[in-house]
Amino acid sequence: MTDQEDAARLTEIGRELPALDLDATTAEQIARRARDQVGRGPSPLRLIEPAIAVLLVASSLIWSVVKALEALGG
Amino acid sequence: MRCAGVAEDERAWIDGLRRGEPAAFDSVFAAYRRRLYGYLVRMTRRRDVAEDLLQDTFLRLAQHARRLAPDTRLGAWLFTVAHRRVISWSRAQAVRAQLAGDIPAREADTGDRSPLSALVDSQAQVALERAFAELAPPYREVALLVGVEGLQPAEVAEILGLKPDAIRQRLARARAQLAAALGEHAPAAWRTA
Repeated sequence: MTDQEDAARLTEIGRELPALDLDATTAEQIARRARDQVGRGPSPLRLIEPAIAVLLVASSLIWSVVKALEALGG
Repeated sequence: MRCAGVAEDERAWIDGLRRGEPAAFDSVFAAYRRRLYGYLVRMTRRRDVAEDLLQDTFLRLAQHARRLAPDTRLGAWLFTVAHRRVISWSRAQAVRAQLAGDIPAREADTGDRSPLSALVDSQAQVALERAFAELAPPYREVALLVGVEGLQPAEVAEILGLKPDAIRQRLARARAQLAAALGEHAPAAWRTA
């Protein structure tokens, strides 16, 4: 049997499956949340966490270098 | 997910989305919400999870709206996102089960008290839902995308990131397993094949 024949038979039976749907309130909530984001792109807030991590790592590194230089110089 | 032959409606919706128009989003939501929700419920077997993943999928569309290519095929694009959300959710489920020192829980009950069975209203439909639910996820996914959503095997290969041969094999196995599971409920032509 070819894949087209398999597909046709699955379509034949797939038609018998009942359609599932959300309740209207949930659908509207989902639509509203997503609609508010149309064209906005991901929130810039997502950059805050990595920025804080970078600052912490950089400051620790600088502190370590300063301490090492102090030890070598002193 | 692009091709030259995009339906006119979809072209208008994509143009609207690229301009950031909420009305275009509403049209896409109305056209695809049931299809995606049906796919997600049948893949996760949980309505609450399906609702969350549906929201993630449409949020992704909204956030990506201005970057859509003019010839994007929305159906394939949305099902690709939904498929990836299902994969991530399944992996998280497996990790949670491992952390709990447990084997992955059997997916939701497919018996008469399952959430799905509450949605169907005939014995044949219950048998059909159960047969789909008992397919292993890779076969169930291909059967749903081809048999229920009417996507072409080549499109499904693109959505799932698989070679056409793999889809061909999964289609054949899904059909054979469905026929076996359906037994007397299988269409006559299936039983004589």
